[in-house]
Amino acid sequence: MPASGRGTVSHADGAAPGEHLLEIVMPQLGITIAEGTLVAWHKQPGEEVDADEAIGEISSDKVDSDIPAPAAGRIVELVVAVGATVDVGTVIATMAVAGEADVAPVAPAAGAGDRASDPATDRAGDPATDRAGDPTADRASDQAAAGHAAGRGAGASEHHSPVVARLAAELGVALESVTGTGRDGRVRREDVLAAAPRPATADTSALYVPPAAGQLSRMRRSIGEHMKRSLSTAATVTSWIEVDFSAVEARRRELGTTALPIVAAATVATLGEFGELNAWLDGEAHTLHTEVNLGVAVALGAEGLIVPVVRGAQALDVQALGAAIADLAARARSGELSPDDVRDGTFTITNPGQFGTFMATPVINQPQVAILDVEAIVRRPVAVTTDGVETIEVRPICILGLSWDHRALDGAYAAHFLAALRARLVGA
Amino acid sequence: MTELTYLEAISDALRIALREDERVLLLGEDIGAFGGAFKVTAGMQEEFGADRVIDTPISEEAMIGGAVGAAIVGMRPVCEMQFADFVACGFDQLVNVAGKLHWRSGLAAPIVVRLPSGGGVSGGPYHSQNPEAWFMHAPGLKVFAPSSAQDAKGLLLEAIADPNPVVFLEHKYLYRRVRGEVPEGAYRTPQRANTVRDGDDLVVIAYGAMVHAAVAAAQQIEEASVRVLDLRTLVPLDERAILDAVRDCAKVVVVDEANYTCAPGAQVASLIAQYGYGDLDGPVVRVATPDAPIPFAPVLERAALPGIERIRDACRELLAY
Amino acid sequence: MLTHRAIEERGLSLYKQGKVPGSFYDGRGQEATCVGAAFALGPDDPVCPLIRDLGAHLVKGTPPSAVLGHYLGRAGGVGRGRDGNVHMGDAQRGVVGMVSMLPDMMAVAVGMAWAFKLRGESRCTLSLFGDGATSVGDWHEAMNLAGLQRVPAIFVLEHNGYAYSTPSSRQFVVDPLQRAAVYGIRGVAVDGNDVEAVFEVTREARERALAGEGPTLIAAYTMRMHGHGAHDDASYVPPELFEHWAARDPIERQRERLRGLGVDVESIEAQVRAEVDAASREALAMAEPPPAGELEDVFCEGEPRTVGRGAAPWSRFSAT
Repeated sequence: MPASGRGTVSHADGAAPGEHLLEIVMPQLGITIAEGTLVAWHKQPGEEVDADEAIGEISSDKVDSDIPAPAAGRIVELVVAVGATVDVGTVIATMAVAGEADVAPVAPAAGAGDRASDPATDRAGDPATDRAGDPTADRASDQAAAGHAAGRGAGASEHHSPVVARLAAELGVALESVTGTGRDGRVRREDVLAAAPRPATADTSALYVPPAAGQLSRMRRSIGEHMKRSLSTAATVTSWIEVDFSAVEARRRELGTTALPIVAAATVATLGEFGELNAWLDGEAHTLHTEVNLGVAVALGAEGLIVPVVRGAQALDVQALGAAIADLAARARSGELSPDDVRDGTFTITNPGQFGTFMATPVINQPQVAILDVEAIVRRPVAVTTDGVETIEVRPICILGLSWDHRALDGAYAAHFLAALRARLVGA
Repeated sequence: MTELTYLEAISDALRIALREDERVLLLGEDIGAFGGAFKVTAGMQEEFGADRVIDTPISEEAMIGGAVGAAIVGMRPVCEMQFADFVACGFDQLVNVAGKLHWRSGLAAPIVVRLPSGGGVSGGPYHSQNPEAWFMHAPGLKVFAPSSAQDAKGLLLEAIADPNPVVFLEHKYLYRRVRGEVPEGAYRTPQRANTVRDGDDLVVIAYGAMVHAAVAAAQQIEEASVRVLDLRTLVPLDERAILDAVRDCAKVVVVDEANYTCAPGAQVASLIAQYGYGDLDGPVVRVATPDAPIPFAPVLERAALPGIERIRDACRELLAY
Repeated sequence: MLTHRAIEERGLSLYKQGKVPGSFYDGRGQEATCVGAAFALGPDDPVCPLIRDLGAHLVKGTPPSAVLGHYLGRAGGVGRGRDGNVHMGDAQRGVVGMVSMLPDMMAVAVGMAWAFKLRGESRCTLSLFGDGATSVGDWHEAMNLAGLQRVPAIFVLEHNGYAYSTPSSRQFVVDPLQRAAVYGIRGVAVDGNDVEAVFEVTREARERALAGEGPTLIAAYTMRMHGHGAHDDASYVPPELFEHWAARDPIERQRERLRGLGVDVESIEAQVRAEVDAASREALAMAEPPPAGELEDVFCEGEPRTVGRGAAPWSRFSAT
């Protein structure tokens, strides 16, 4: 964006009675030029100038020029500051000039614009209605000659576009029964699609008519775009590891929190050893971050989800991390997040396991290169070796999933990370 | 990636070509010491020398014919017509010598003729033309017309590498008004169309500056999903992409900034009418500048060139059909 | 020169038999100009001939059968049926074929020469054209650019007095040779019907070009002894003019000169006749070009081919 400089720079008294105000605008110095820079002001508000006297200087990509006063008068206001770059046509100064303002040129009569309207329709009238508008003799006789249903009367608008005819045949739609929503009641493609029968179920006596289609909310569509883009940009692979959460469970009971902050803290610490996962890959630009700005996905019910960011998570202990996450989640649900709260994430954790699902293939939050998914903790029988003896015990097992971008790293690295993370969590 | 204007992207392509291929020469009026009427070649004569960035006299025929001569003995000349309109002064060499050379004699003429084209700048009748149809009509010439900074650079590098004569339309309205992310270093854009906006209720087919107007018009039509297909190359014309878009959308608006009769959109419309007939749910609608020279006064020029409102209204009317 | 004339006589005969489609053009009476000039070139010097310059094609090595096949529009002709009569150029032998718009090929010759100069190569180009072509804007543009850039080009103006039916007196006020100086180009006049004089003057021009002294305009004064084409009986030419020039026939003059040196002219002529007979039999037997192939090669798909090498008889170097 060009530097603002649009506020009033200096100002003298405005036009007196018997005078009017003239605006001086940034000229276009070259037909492809779109902006210019104010290089210098030679006059100050209140000063008198002669017509054509240079009151300042401007510069564009192509050429430098002085600014001539359009008439003799007094500078009132220098609107744009020295050094500012503004669009062509922007008012850069005003001056007071004796006499009445010139009468503005008369706008051309409304008819003049019509001549320049779409030449296609000018020429052929409206080609659509010219052809399709006459439903009578021509159409009916054409169709009869072509061997179409002779039962069609002359009154209905019977010309169907090729795609409508084809879709109707493919989908088994009787066109006479379709209400057209197009011009003059014409049957459109959408109408055929809407009228199409669904495949038969066991009870074939009732045809299902779907309700009218609506549209996804803006937020949902935006999330969808992001997800689609992520999947088509990154070479997304998901790796999983099973973790015995006994130690985590014990610790969380001690602290009085959920498991999430404990997992988050362990993840942040492990990222310290596996820096390639704490990165951005944006086209060719690959950034390895020194801080961990941890994004934590927060579900917003039917509205979708949002990922607020805990900045500098590597410096927070488990409790501070937990508090930060709780605060962000609360503000997310009450709609109180600021744009800064959702920016600059370097790694994301998502934790949807509260409902019991135990594995997922999360989508990476662009332009990050990895996301950790913490699903449900499920009590399972597992093989445990104690003092050399192998038995079956029931343990709280959580499957951690890491989706990672194969453009930035390999499976061995991802697996290594997960193993290190597990080691931390098991030893927690 | 860096953000460049459309003009900077073109300059970037020329610099890369001059650096990486010693066969590349630039020829044009005022392109050397002065850096070109639009400053596309600013600084290049200092960097590459007066033997590679060459100021010619006002001689479009000799420039283009000379470029053909240099090309058939191994050089890769890139000519600049100061304004697209002046290519009419070199028309004979371009159409009759360059265009027909390979077909007749097996000699290839890998020249590029760059044309700063288009209106919207109060250039008047002789500085605003869109002559691409003249050259689509001449066998043996390729015609490229990018709309974005990224495509301008990639298609120019592609044109220089192509062994055929390429007429390269640089829309001058876009020079400094369009900017975008452009990959660094050398890359080539394929000679195919590009969907710049997804949609399936209607497709607007356009190229050059009209792509931007089409996208803006599509954005205003919130009640429907309007696709925009950027042709990018007029010869070769991406017939597959055009017909696929028609199959998906069933309704088509073709936009030309060029004059209505026999503009590139006329060829597109004819192609669709013949080969896409079965997929159409409405007439093929064209929005174009009427058959008159481009006027100078802004109010007249605005009325002549297709703008966002005209494209949007044509789309809405067709959507309702 | 003999081959030039013999081929054209044969071609004209075939044309009158209805075997040559379209039109037929020859350079009867002008053979010395194109042959003498082309003889002075090196094998890497491309030539841009025009309507009357069959001899230049032959000097560069284009086979007579390919020329006759070209007139006949056969697949084995130089143009493979895609262009006819004099619109031919065996690019692989250093000949760039003309287009109808005169003198477009001058600019192409300037461009080639320019490339040679920029690359520091010891090569030049030869471009031939008639007095009528000097009226076209392209002539001025090419001369101006050539003089400005001092390119190693040789321009041969075949001043034969007529452009179709327009005599030079209705073509320009001042002899175009006088214009050379205006472009900073050296102008030289020569008897266009003396093959050895044309050779000498071209050889000097080539030396100057390769020494970086820029282009030369050689005005070769000669006469077009037939009409513009076979469809033109040239009745607008005063008979005295034909008589005057018939007495100065270039081939006859060279015959005399060679006889004086003890050369067996008759056996050369017999050899040429036999060659042309064989060539026309070969050409008449050539297949027609396949219609299905009409659309091929509008565009180059692979690596572009450049102008090749030709023969260069006088330097005793032959590319083939």
